[in-house]
Amino acid sequence: MSTAESTTSPNPGLRDRVGTVFTVRPLTVGLALFWIWVLARWTTDFVLAGVSGVDRGTPFVPAAPFLTTADTVASLATPLGVAGAPLMWVADTLRFAADATAYLPALAHGIWTTVLLTVFSVCLGFMLALPLSVVRVYGGRWARWFALSYTELIRGTPLLAQLFVLYFATSLTQVLRGVPGVGVGFVPAQAFWVAVISFTLNSAAYQSEYLRASLESVDGGQLTAARAIGLSKLEGIRYVVVPQGLRLALPSWTNELVYLIKYSSLASFITVQELYGRTSTIANETYQYTELFVLVAILYLALVVSASALMDRVESHTATAGVGHTRQ
Amino acid sequence: MTQPLLSIDDLHKSYGSEEVLEGVGLEMDQGDVTVLIGPSGSGKSTLLRCVNRLTEINSGRIALDGEDVTGTDTDVNELRKQVGMVFQDFNLFAHLTALENVTLGPKKVLGMDAADAEAAGRNHLEQVGLLEQADSYPAELSGGQKQRVGIARALAMDPELLLFDEPTSALDPELVGEVVEVMRDLAAEGITMLVVSHEMDFARSAASDIVFLDDGEIVEHGPPEQLFQNPTADRTEQFLSRLHAHEETA
Repeated sequence: MSTAESTTSPNPGLRDRVGTVFTVRPLTVGLALFWIWVLARWTTDFVLAGVSGVDRGTPFVPAAPFLTTADTVASLATPLGVAGAPLMWVADTLRFAADATAYLPALAHGIWTTVLLTVFSVCLGFMLALPLSVVRVYGGRWARWFALSYTELIRGTPLLAQLFVLYFATSLTQVLRGVPGVGVGFVPAQAFWVAVISFTLNSAAYQSEYLRASLESVDGGQLTAARAIGLSKLEGIRYVVVPQGLRLALPSWTNELVYLIKYSSLASFITVQELYGRTSTIANETYQYTELFVLVAILYLALVVSASALMDRVESHTATAGVGHTRQ
Repeated sequence: MTQPLLSIDDLHKSYGSEEVLEGVGLEMDQGDVTVLIGPSGSGKSTLLRCVNRLTEINSGRIALDGEDVTGTDTDVNELRKQVGMVFQDFNLFAHLTALENVTLGPKKVLGMDAADAEAAGRNHLEQVGLLEQADSYPAELSGGQKQRVGIARALAMDPELLLFDEPTSALDPELVGEVVEVMRDLAAEGITMLVVSHEMDFARSAASDIVFLDDGEIVEHGPPEQLFQNPTADRTEQFLSRLHAHEETA
């Protein structure tokens, strides 16, 4: 979009929206394809495979065409010597695509676990973080001290250490194994739940810090006015301060979500076969480390960009004039 | 003898070692419009905030309808249902529209259902001339409009007493008129108002009583004609002449 156009635009908000549509479109298409594939994969493998005789994990696209094309391209490139390097590169990419078709079904299952892990942890973490942050800002001396200690303890120690402590040093795993339903059918096994608990406790600390900063930046007069119409302190916080604080916290909260998507890969250290765990298992069997980790990087990127795009939507949907950073 | 709506007796308030109110006494009857004037730091806003207990007093007694409201067993939320407040810097709920600002109290405090609260809220917005701005957010309103929403928000609780804490001080001069006009309408309707303001125009035309407060005590108290024309205390006279000088230069 030219600058002349943008400066003459009567509505700055509209200009921004138009700009976004144009620049984001290829990305939107890419993400749409990614999610269509993911959903098709899940439907086929988790739903249809049980009902009809569809084979679980059969690639949608056969690898053979990629391989034959790769061989053809390579045979064309070989006589050219050094000049054939670009063609060899194309051949290598095609071989990579052939490998990818074979691995992707397993990785789609990994994505399912990663998504579950992240969504559970970030949501449960939020439920803990909200009261924690309210206590940090409005609580009494001891409550504040408790919330601060918790936050500092969690933020001051490595997530992997927290995960190991919960998994190896407590009887949490045994307890969870005994819970009826765990590891049956769609319900993941105990290691997954240990990871959820660990990430929830960790994420709660980080989220509560973001929320605390936002709650503190809500003008004090807002709560005074709420109290003046007869709302109790807690009601004032609930109906007036928190709704504004949450809007202010959205950008940093998105950051935490993005971190968690990637940090959830640590669950592989306690045997959870999420996206990273699956990748690493396959790589150890096939020795195709480079191919697989390039592939998994692309998949993580797709997940992260999807999450950011979703939160952008949420942000513009909840945007209120005068609360937070209204984009001009 | 009828019981005063508000009676304040020997009120003391200090912040640390600094005594802000040094034994203030004041009575207001139903329908009275009392304007508190005085130099900055004289304790006007503190006095106002003691009435709805946004500030806790040190000693003395405040009674609303004959009932002591400063006791430790008083439900402050009950008290604040009956005493509305309008703030100097509006303090409108930034994430709510004008209408939602007005209906929050009735819905959450008075327990009105949404439809009733909205209908009543629209009436109150109409009363302050802002029905068309019902769906605007505070950031989209002018200062004068914000303050009128602030007044509507206080009115929506149907209070017995309305407190105004310098309602026009944060406004651009050209916006003061619209707010004063709304306040004058309320006074004419018989709403009991305790107003901290130096808006002489309002004080002369709408007040039933003027109270001059200086250094934490009431120096003079009387009807506007008397206090403005023939102040008995030197301090009142000095303050008024400074105020007039300021008004003329402004």
